[in-house]
Amino acid sequence: MDGVVHLVAPDRPIPSNSARPMAAPSASEQARDQVLLRVESITKQYANQAALSDVTFDIQAGEILGIIGPNGAGKTTLLEAVAGILPIDRGDVRWHGKPLPPSRRREAIFYLPDGVRPYLDQPVTRVLSFFAGVYRRSTDEISGAIESVGLTPVLRKRVYALSKGYGRRLMLTLGLLTPQLLLLMDEPFDGFDLRQTREIVSLLRAEVAKGRTFVLAIHQLADAERVCDRFILLVDGRVRGIGTLSDLRSRTGISSGSLEDVFLALT
Amino acid sequence: MRPLLVKELWEILSGRALWTMLLLMCPLIGYSFSQAASLYGEASVTGLQSPVLASSLSPLDGVLVPTLGAFYVAVTLLFPFVAIRVLGQEKESGALRLLVQLPYRSSSLIAAKLAAVLAAWVLSSIPAISALVIWAMQGGHLSAPETLNLLFGHLLYGLLVGAIALFSASVSESAATAAIVTLAFTIGSWVLDFTVAGQPGLLAWIARLSLTQVLRTFEQGLLSAGLVVGIGAAMFGFAALANVWLPPGVQLRDKVIRSIVWVLVVALALGLATQIRLTFDATEDRRNSFPPADQHLLASLAQPLVVTVNLAPEDPRYADLQRNVLAKLERAMPDVSIRLASGRQSQAAAAGEDRYGEVEYTYDARSDVSRSTSPREILPMLYGLAGVSPPAPAPGSDYPGYPLVAGRQVALLWFFAGLPLCIALAWWWSRRLPKPLPARS
Repeated sequence: MDGVVHLVAPDRPIPSNSARPMAAPSASEQARDQVLLRVESITKQYANQAALSDVTFDIQAGEILGIIGPNGAGKTTLLEAVAGILPIDRGDVRWHGKPLPPSRRREAIFYLPDGVRPYLDQPVTRVLSFFAGVYRRSTDEISGAIESVGLTPVLRKRVYALSKGYGRRLMLTLGLLTPQLLLLMDEPFDGFDLRQTREIVSLLRAEVAKGRTFVLAIHQLADAERVCDRFILLVDGRVRGIGTLSDLRSRTGISSGSLEDVFLALT
Repeated sequence: MRPLLVKELWEILSGRALWTMLLLMCPLIGYSFSQAASLYGEASVTGLQSPVLASSLSPLDGVLVPTLGAFYVAVTLLFPFVAIRVLGQEKESGALRLLVQLPYRSSSLIAAKLAAVLAAWVLSSIPAISALVIWAMQGGHLSAPETLNLLFGHLLYGLLVGAIALFSASVSESAATAAIVTLAFTIGSWVLDFTVAGQPGLLAWIARLSLTQVLRTFEQGLLSAGLVVGIGAAMFGFAALANVWLPPGVQLRDKVIRSIVWVLVVALALGLATQIRLTFDATEDRRNSFPPADQHLLASLAQPLVVTVNLAPEDPRYADLQRNVLAKLERAMPDVSIRLASGRQSQAAAAGEDRYGEVEYTYDARSDVSRSTSPREILPMLYGLAGVSPPAPAPGSDYPGYPLVAGRQVALLWFFAGLPLCIALAWWWSRRLPKPLPARS
């Protein structure tokens, strides 16, 4: 493993695995004072256009944080900047309060990009074996990840032959095989129907219960409302609001509106 | 590193590029080999009747170099597409963004990819190696040192092309662009060979940058330590540049600065490599050396020898002199300086001078002039300048030559039927699905 040491979070309570995180006391509320990762003033420009402007937020340990915004809002750019695979013009990322340079981000963070079909000519089994081999996963861990994501029917198919949904499941399985505490996922529900989305939401909740933290970039607000504990509203590379749905409702004065209503009011 | 290496090897084996290249190589190398063996056989008919004529029949020139020449063409034109795949496809599919997050240094990733390129070269050399096996099975002679030396040269050339392809893939967004960049190096070398080789001055220096120069020395049967170090430095340089450009999270300015540093380091290493004079004559007929007795005596002449050549660099006589005498003297004597009196003058300009064609040899404050390009005349003259007696010729050291009249049918059958079938079967085997993952206990 080339001597790379994985950053370990300090002891923290494992958040409850609630089916409706918005109603019950959420993981974020339990662990609100435990900032896992702090993103400070990230700024990124492409030519003369600002992709991200002074983006600052915290990621709490054991939460599912949703980055929501329309297409072109800068969600993917933000995830890639946080993951350290996109150079930024300015800004800082801190892990438990300590600076985490881009070269060391992969020790704490794993990013699952959108639209990636890794190793198209290889059978799914071989791609999974590669990741499992890299992270020295046991047979039980591999089988557990495959079963939980529902990838069993396509294990012997080649990656190029997978449907969009199974391609997404493959990426999710790869993410589950990684040991990083923080998983960034770009459009994780794209390609799933409602039933499948609910299955994946349950899976993410189970992972949170095991101590993982997720940041999801989602443009479907209904999906985001279903799964996320807190939200970052991103429009034109700027943060327009951060907080739980209740926090955002309070800011807008919409007492019982959906995330969609809140989003429209704030943007 | 094991999972990474296994993954890289499967990536090479799973692609169509490698197998397509192997199938294309079959007729290319097969035809070259059968033509070379046929021509060698025709020359051998008279060689078998006369030992003198037989001594000029060397399998290195007659069979090995032409057969591996076809391999060189394939490596130049087709191998870049195989080598680019080891990185280009990951860039195009986005898998590189996953790869760079794995717990490997980017230098480890590049090393694994170079290992995959090496494996791809080994597989692509199968048709060429099989030609040598057929030659040996038909009774053809293969001298181990000169054969291994030539194969080593092709290995270095293949790895250099692979390293260039890897660098091209690292700086290009698509495999198509990477292919254009790589072919600019490989085919650009041919352009250099055709346009500026043999020209004087700066053009001669530019011609030396051609990649094909890598093979020439090995084809002559020489193993040059300086050349090996130089190729190694160039390969390392391209790999280092690929390593600089691989990580996506680094600012462009930083990449450019690091690239400049590496280019300077490699330029320095290449400069130092040119100062290494150590060479080995791997040929069985010792064509790059004087007879052993002369070699021994020349090695004992400790004073500097200065050779002033009144010939234009593009003059064929200079090429003869260089090959027959000067290169051998440089290898045999401890201190030899060669100076072109005409400098950068062209042949047309220099030919009008009275002394044009003369070569002046100065040793230990004594000089003599000769217009010969033959060691038979020049060596006695040098011994005279040094005040030593010419050595007695050693008996029984003459190269016997290896004439052979071999049939073409076996080779044609192998290269046009047997080998393509084997390659197709291996391709099918590589496409088999792996065993299912073990079930949970």
